[in-house]
Amino acid sequence: MSSIAAFIMASFTRPENISVNPQSMLWLLPLVAAIAIVYKTTKLPKIKAAHFVKEVTILFGSIVVFMIVAALVLYVVAWLITE
Amino acid sequence: MTARRSKEGHIAFLLTVGLLAWLVPGAGHLAIKENKHAAIIFVTIVLTFATGLYLGSIAVIDPVGAKPWYVAQIMNSPMVAGLGHLTRTSGYRVYGRPNEIGQIYTSIAGLLNLLCVVNAVYWAHLRRTEAVGD
Repeated sequence: MSSIAAFIMASFTRPENISVNPQSMLWLLPLVAAIAIVYKTTKLPKIKAAHFVKEVTILFGSIVVFMIVAALVLYVVAWLITE
Repeated sequence: MTARRSKEGHIAFLLTVGLLAWLVPGAGHLAIKENKHAAIIFVTIVLTFATGLYLGSIAVIDPVGAKPWYVAQIMNSPMVAGLGHLTRTSGYRVYGRPNEIGQIYTSIAGLLNLLCVVNAVYWAHLRRTEAVGD
């Protein structure tokens, strides 16, 4: 096995160091992008680049905005309960 | 007799498409000649799954300690069972945030592939029924 292949395989046997902080929430963005891309791929019968990118961007934005709104609502509810 | 054979052939075709889509993400769409769809699905699901493995290591695939997550992860491909066996026998472990994020990424990739399997089978069914209708 070449050293490059061994290095690549070894990188999948040791977890990355991810702290528990607000920045770690940004890991949701690539996942939302993947969900938006695959969902739109299954929904559009014909894929044209410009139209596909537009549809994916709209869905990506919708999910992110909805999650921000949900987070704000939960924050307000938690604040009302604890104050 | 011919109609029955045709129906059996149709069911066998749908099963083949579903099985291909499970074996390799996007292969089901490739079987029904949706090449662009197949390429996008393959790249997106493999990248999402690989990102999860990179963040949490292969230890996020835990068929014993995290069975519900494993059910979703194995939707990626039956090859995930090989990784599960490797994790179980080699004693890899991961805890905390890397474990959570790795499990979420790999499981969501699996559930997305399940969506693609159902979609490929549905499209294969529609194509065949439309062709017969014509």
